[in-house]
Formats: sequence, C-alpha cells, structure tokens
Amino acid sequence: MSARPYRNGRTRGGFFLALAMKNLARHRRRTVITAGAIAVGVAVFIWMFSILQGFEAENDRNMSRYETGDAAIMGSGYWDERDTFPLDMPVEDPEAILSLLEAEEIAAAPRIAFRGDLIVRYDPFPEDGSLQRAFYGIDIERDSRVFALSEAIEAGRFLEPGNEEVIIGRWLADQLGAEVGYPVTVTTRTRDGFYQIMDLEIVGIFNTSNPFINRHKAYLPIAVADEYLEMRGAVTAVYLSLPGMLPADADPGPVRELLSEFDGIEVLGFYRLNEDFAEVMEMENAGTAIILILLGIIAVVGISNTMLMSVLERENEIGMMRALGVRDGEIRWMFTFEAAGIGLIGAIVGLILGALLVWHAVAVGIDYGVLMEIEMDFRFDGVLYGVWHFTSMIAAAVFAVLIAGVVALVPTRRMLRRRITDSLRHS
Amino acid sequence: MIAVNEVHKEYIDGETHVRALRGVSLKIEGGEFLSIAGPSGSGKTTLLNIIGCIDNADSGDVDIDGDRVGGKSKKELTEIRRAKIGFVFQSFNLIPVLTAYENVSMALSLLGVSDAENRERTMALLAEVGLEGMEHRRPSRLSGGQQQRVAVARALIKDPLIVLADEPTANLDSTTGEAILKLMKDINRHRGTTFIFSTHDQMVMDYGDRLCRLHDGLIESDERRSA
Repeated sequence: MSARPYRNGRTRGGFFLALAMKNLARHRRRTVITAGAIAVGVAVFIWMFSILQGFEAENDRNMSRYETGDAAIMGSGYWDERDTFPLDMPVEDPEAILSLLEAEEIAAAPRIAFRGDLIVRYDPFPEDGSLQRAFYGIDIERDSRVFALSEAIEAGRFLEPGNEEVIIGRWLADQLGAEVGYPVTVTTRTRDGFYQIMDLEIVGIFNTSNPFINRHKAYLPIAVADEYLEMRGAVTAVYLSLPGMLPADADPGPVRELLSEFDGIEVLGFYRLNEDFAEVMEMENAGTAIILILLGIIAVVGISNTMLMSVLERENEIGMMRALGVRDGEIRWMFTFEAAGIGLIGAIVGLILGALLVWHAVAVGIDYGVLMEIEMDFRFDGVLYGVWHFTSMIAAAVFAVLIAGVVALVPTRRMLRRRITDSLRHS
Repeated sequence: MIAVNEVHKEYIDGETHVRALRGVSLKIEGGEFLSIAGPSGSGKTTLLNIIGCIDNADSGDVDIDGDRVGGKSKKELTEIRRAKIGFVFQSFNLIPVLTAYENVSMALSLLGVSDAENRERTMALLAEVGLEGMEHRRPSRLSGGQQQRVAVARALIKDPLIVLADEPTANLDSTTGEAILKLMKDINRHRGTTFIFSTHDQMVMDYGDRLCRLHDGLIESDERRSA
C-alpha cells in the first residue's frame, strides 16, 4: 500500500468541490482565457468606479470650496431663478441671520451674485475685449471661513474691504489679455433695474482647481457691490460650511430649524445646490453603466460558452455519474463550483489588476488637460484622481464569482433534462 | 431476487417506432452470472438499462430485491442505483481527472462512507482486481484492460446487489477481454455478487452460468450452463 496520503473528500460536498477544482485543469487554456475575460471585466469595473468616485468627490469638493459651500440660505424662489441672477429675491436681513449662525459657531459667508459685462482696457488704450460673466460681491473676512478662494491667488493679491477692485480667474485673464493693475469696467443693472457702470481695478488673478470659477467668475468686495447695485444691505445668498467629511454628508437640518422663524428664506442642502452636476453625473453614470453592462455581457458570454462546452463534451461522463447514483443536484453543484472557480480565479486576478490601476489613478491620476480646453460644466482640474473604494472592489469580485456560478446552471440544467441512456450513448 | 415481468419498451425514432422489448419476463437469482446475448437491436442494452433503473418500461415491471421499481420517482431511482446497482460500461467511462483510487472511492464517497473505511476498502479491492501500485495513475496512464479493471472495481466497491455490464469486453482485445471476464467471474464466485452482462461475442457468452438469448425484443432461449 502506498504511503502517500489520499485526499478523497470526506463528504459528498467535499468530493464534488474537489472534482470541480480538478476539472478546471482539464482545459487550462480555456480556463485561462475565460478567467482572463472575467479579470479584465473586474479590473475595468474597479478602475472606472474609482475614477468616477474620484471625479464626483473632486467635483463636490470644488463646488463646496468655491461655489456653493455645504449649504446656502437664499430668498424663497431664488434658486429656481438663479440662471438669471435676480437681485429682487434677496435675503433681506443677512446680519440677523449671520449673528444667529455665528452664535452657534456655524461658518457663514454672505455673497451678492450678479451678472455683468466685463470690459478690459490696456489703459490708456481703447477697449480690448469684453465678456459677460458672473460677479460676486464677497465679505472678505467671512468668505475665507467657507470658501478657499483667498488661497488660490496666483498673481497680485486678494481683495481688501471697501476698495473698488476685482479679482478674476487665470483662464479669463488670459482670454482677455488682462493682467494685475489693469482697469476694467463692469456694466450691469441695479436691484431696481437701472443700468450701472462700475470701474474697478484688477488686483489679483486666481487659479483654483475649479475651472468653472477660473473661466466664468469675478469677485469684488461686498460693500462695493452693495453700493453699486443698491442692495441696501441685502445679499443674494449666505453660504455655510457645515461639519461633515464630505460636502454631501453635511446636514442642513439643524440650520433650517435654527432659522425657522425667518420668513422669505430657504435653506438649501448640498444635493440641491449641486443638482445641475448631479444631472450631468447621472448621464455620465448611465454611459458608464452601459460600458459595464457590455463588459458583464462579455464575461457572461465567455463563461457560459466555456461551461456549455464543458457540459457538452462531458455528456457521457455526466450520464455515467447519474447512472452510478449521483444526484442531479450534486452534478449541478459540481458545475457551479467549477464555474465559480473560474470566476474566483478571474476575480482574484481582476482584483490585483484593478488595485494596480486604482493605485496609479490615486497616485498619478489621469491627465485630462486636453479636455479642459473644452467648455464643460465639470468642476475638476486637468488631472483626475481616483479614490480607493474597497466595497466596490469586493462587490465586483463577489459578483464575478456569483454570476459565473449562476451562468453554469443553464447548460447543466439542459443536460440534466436529457435521459441518462441518451447521455451514455453520446461518446 | 430480480424479477422482470412482461416488460415492453418502444422507441420512437423520427417516424419509426422501434419495439425494443416485446414482453420480456425473467427471474434472476442472487449470485447468478448471467449473459444476455443477441444481435444488435435485439434489446439487450434496453433490458439492462431497465433493470439498472436508468430507463423506464412502457409496461410491465421490474422488482429488485422485492422492491418494485415501476412508479418510483426519479429521486428514488437514483437512490436505488446509488446503493444497489453497479455499472460497467463498454467504454469504461472513468473520470479522466481522477486517479484510479479516486475513480473507485468515488462510489463510496457518494454513500457517505468515512475516509478511513473508504481507503481500506478501495485499496483492498484495487489489489483484488490486480491494480496494486497503480492507485495514483490517471486513466490516461492505464491500458484499456487496466481501465476496465478500475471500472469493475468502481462497480463492486459498494457491494451492490447486481453489477450490470453492457458489452464490457467490446473495446478490449480478446486476451484482455478474457482476463476481465475471468476477474468478474472470480469476484462472482468469491463475493456472490450477481452479474448481468450483455454481449454478442461467443467467448463472452461461454463465461455465463446462464445464457439468455434475445431476438427482436423477445427471449428466444434461456439456458443454464455448467461453469
């Protein structure tokens, strides 16, 4: 008798599991190709999910840090009309609100948003160019508690209170050929609808990680905006910075409660403020979902083809096993184990490949510099970074194993419907 | 022990109706070594399949050890095959990724026999069929005769009531075929296992203690012979 230990399964389940694993080695090339297809699917899913999550997180961060804060207080109905920059739907008594918020140690920054034509002159030369842009009168001290604009000054300096000055983005400055020290004229309308002309000096050029800001927005002291636009102390919004790891986690509920006695205002959470982007993301996600479905179909077709071939070429063997008293359920399990084994190999390789791709996306990022030349509503800089999202990685791997196992049931079921005698005749 | 009563079986092949068995009745006692002979299409394999519970009779019935097979569910038939019936196939039908040992011990694993007992019984039987030292070989490293010995061991390992062998020597040369028949006969004598095998080979027929000839789905003759 041989001294080599026998490793026959102690249980029927163990036996069929062991047999299924051995069957994986029957056609190594086929197993490798199928597992490879699954691995590519899993890796691409993990990578795309990481990039999308990074994209969303970066967008949220840039929206929060430069445009919307974590929440905002606006006059009732203002948000729905925001594209027209109305000045007649303001927050009338911002100081009362700000005192209340500051007593609760909630960082808040009032802003006056208006639309105007920006005309740049190479003084004393004539007009060189103009563009319609959004302008924001900002409370210089409070603004830095909510927004990061003051940290993004690339040339010149940040605004000083009360001076008739403006800061613009690098992209806009380059388009207009403007530099620090150049005079600009802004034509707009006051709260009461009268035309107004503001002569300001460019004192700083900023370059944020939010290209939308760099292109479309200019900032001036809130007192100057208040005076020229005849706002009489009113502002178009008060932006808030709320506790939360991510802007989307911030809960505006307590602020709503705190301000419940104020009439004519509404507190908007980050989701609402970000709804334009959310729509774009939905479209983006739908596109990504189609790609992922296609990848899934490729993996499913691959594995079902492999399992179909396995089942068909082993018809005689299946007939023999059934004749020996192997139950149909046990045969089903055997093929399920086998397919899940292929899925598992693919999932493990896919996890490793995916992790490498994510690592690259997190550490190096993907340079979308060329795309940045195109006008887009996305709020991210030229380089897009991924994020580690372990739940999606595990989910992708588990899904691959499960779907592989389930796919095997179809050809097996078909085979088990055949009569044993027919299967035995198939040699 | 096995009673085949007025069994009829008809196949439909396209528009052709083939009457494989036309009222076959047979009683087989325990420990018999019965050969069922007849030309191709005489109904040998169909009769074996019905006795082996892998095919159903259109009418008539089969009793195995007092247990009436007709009307049993698919699951019940599977359990009967698992516990009581061993098969030896013409083309051996071993699982290529399993060793000789694993191919044989599989039948006991299905019955939930413990590893230790399984190992002891499998090793003893492999030695009995002349495969000592070849336990770890896969079928591809065994000759046709050795593969059929593994198949015989697989059929016998669970101590079945009957072993059904459908033309067990058809894929073997005459010397090897005779050796396999001798092996089955020895086991039949030592263990008292009932063997029923089909053949159209005269040499194989001569090994049977009883020869039952089928023709066109009917028993033409049934004679007991001295071994």
